[in-house]
Amino acid sequence: MTVSDISQRPKFFAQDNVYLPHIVVIEKIIEETPGVRTFHFNFKDKKLAQEFRFESGQFAQYSVFGVGEAPFCISSSPTRPDHLEFAAQRVGRLTNALHRLGVGAELGFRGPYGNSFPLDFLKGKNLVFVGGGIGLAPLRSLIWNVIDNRNKYNKVDIVYGARTPIDLCFQYDLEAWDKDKTVNIVTTVDRGDDAWKGKVGLVPKVLEEAAPSAKDSVAIVCGPPIMIRFTFPVLEKLGFKPAQMLTTLEKRMKCGIGKCGRCNIGNIYVCRDGPVFSYEQIKDFVSSEY
Amino acid sequence: MNKKVSKKDIAQLLKTWSQQFNVLAPSRDSGVAAMAEWDGKDTSFLDWYRNTVVPPKASFLPPMEAMFRFRKDEEGYQIEPPAKNGQKQLLFGIRPCDARAMAILDMTFEDAYKDPYYLEKRKKAVLVGLGCTNPCESCFCTSMGTSPTDPTNVDLMLIDIGDHFFIEEVTAKGKELIAKTSGLKEATKNDEAEAEKARETAYNKVSRKLDTEGIKDNLLESFDDEDFWEKVAAKCISCGICTLLCPTCYCFDINDELVKGEGTRFRSWDSCGFSLYTKMPMENPRQEKWRRVRQKVCHKYEFYPMAFDVIACTGCGRCIRLCPVNWDITQVIESVPARVKGAK
Repeated sequence: MTVSDISQRPKFFAQDNVYLPHIVVIEKIIEETPGVRTFHFNFKDKKLAQEFRFESGQFAQYSVFGVGEAPFCISSSPTRPDHLEFAAQRVGRLTNALHRLGVGAELGFRGPYGNSFPLDFLKGKNLVFVGGGIGLAPLRSLIWNVIDNRNKYNKVDIVYGARTPIDLCFQYDLEAWDKDKTVNIVTTVDRGDDAWKGKVGLVPKVLEEAAPSAKDSVAIVCGPPIMIRFTFPVLEKLGFKPAQMLTTLEKRMKCGIGKCGRCNIGNIYVCRDGPVFSYEQIKDFVSSEY
Repeated sequence: MNKKVSKKDIAQLLKTWSQQFNVLAPSRDSGVAAMAEWDGKDTSFLDWYRNTVVPPKASFLPPMEAMFRFRKDEEGYQIEPPAKNGQKQLLFGIRPCDARAMAILDMTFEDAYKDPYYLEKRKKAVLVGLGCTNPCESCFCTSMGTSPTDPTNVDLMLIDIGDHFFIEEVTAKGKELIAKTSGLKEATKNDEAEAEKARETAYNKVSRKLDTEGIKDNLLESFDDEDFWEKVAAKCISCGICTLLCPTCYCFDINDELVKGEGTRFRSWDSCGFSLYTKMPMENPRQEKWRRVRQKVCHKYEFYPMAFDVIACTGCGRCIRLCPVNWDITQVIESVPARVKGAK
């Protein structure tokens, strides 16, 4: 996607300082899998809660005070603004601290940062969502956005997978989309269990079998890097051009605004110029360190 | 008409400026040469000073800086930004290479989202340059768009003309400061000729040269040449000193510290030379040393020119002087294969 004009992005600075966080309160915690939790939260400042705007695909920096800050995408849809959501897998120091918090706990929040999924470009197209594990988090923001504006888009296909049935995130979404006649969803796991009735197989393979048409379509892919790398060639085989494939990237970030240096891929800062990119852009990056 | 100041009157001059500014001057009090608060009398740096080890960026992007404090009370978390430091800094003796580095840093901190901590200090500051008379063997400023007496990025430039410094008034800020400073002498035609001679002499003393023509395109072409980067990185020990003490490096880390319920979020210098810099819980895009060395070289000579049309190196030579294993950026740049004809 084109690097959207940063000056046009919504900005909500606390005390006029881009590095100061707003205070948000955790309202609900959903145990998605043994290692992944979704946090529903709202701004403590009621006026800000009313005014806050973001777009699907954008992320924020979340603080656990005393431990630090980390970036997570906003996983809820801007079409459902009564609260915000993000999901975090317990993998490091910050996410471990996060998983120890309960409802009512306060977090710091800076954002929204980054670019977003290009809704104008997606309008009228067939959409193919390809997700793996917690990679569904940024996609579900867009999927609900699309469902809430269903007449603006054409066919919607979702291919989602996880390692095992208990690793499937957002199962309440998967069920809702399964019931939704306007959405076609395939769920798969790498390894099934006795109770599993769905597909077994890696996401790229299941995508190849589902074989969505590339005509007037855009694929939106997010998951572990290994899944993304194997999904692009499958899409190319299905006739998708690099410009028809979108993804959202993850890097270590500290500032979130293109200053602290570490999230660059060549001359691109994932935090400032991304995180949403087309495969056409990624292909032409100076570095393959994505 | 330009002014001049006698070398023995420098203490008096700094005292005058101290009334209005927090005057910083070269000092070795901390154990390494750095810009430090002037003690009100010592001007011995005029004899020993070639350049500071710690670059003057430290006065604007300190090695460690509190961003805000936080504490929890019955109402929840309270965020308290640091009190704005009302003091205006005057850096006395900044070298032209380092002044150019400040202009290069401004581009990043002004870009897209403005950095309030850096810019607050930077906008209020006055830079008084001191032309070099004795450049180091490792200096190559004349190849990097500046020179030992280049006044471009300072407010005032002082040129050594024997027992006086010739004062070049560069910016409106500099002119205003001189207009308000009493006790300066008028420079004569002869002084001006002396200054010109000093400029030329200093320029010719910079013996190390670096040809950067075509470097951006040639680096791009060599980007995936793993063998080349392995060779370039072979002796690097990833100590990070060439980045931490580089006047144009600005990477930082952000962390929290909690002492008895009182928290501080601070930022501190960080380096792309460290493998933890990019490490995520599940993977690390720059785990291998050659990738990190490539990042350092390419950020300066390729990515920064792509973003801002300027090489983020001013030829100050610190990374050459301070490297514990004699890694030499000029040798690296010269060894980049010239793969692109007519490259820029």
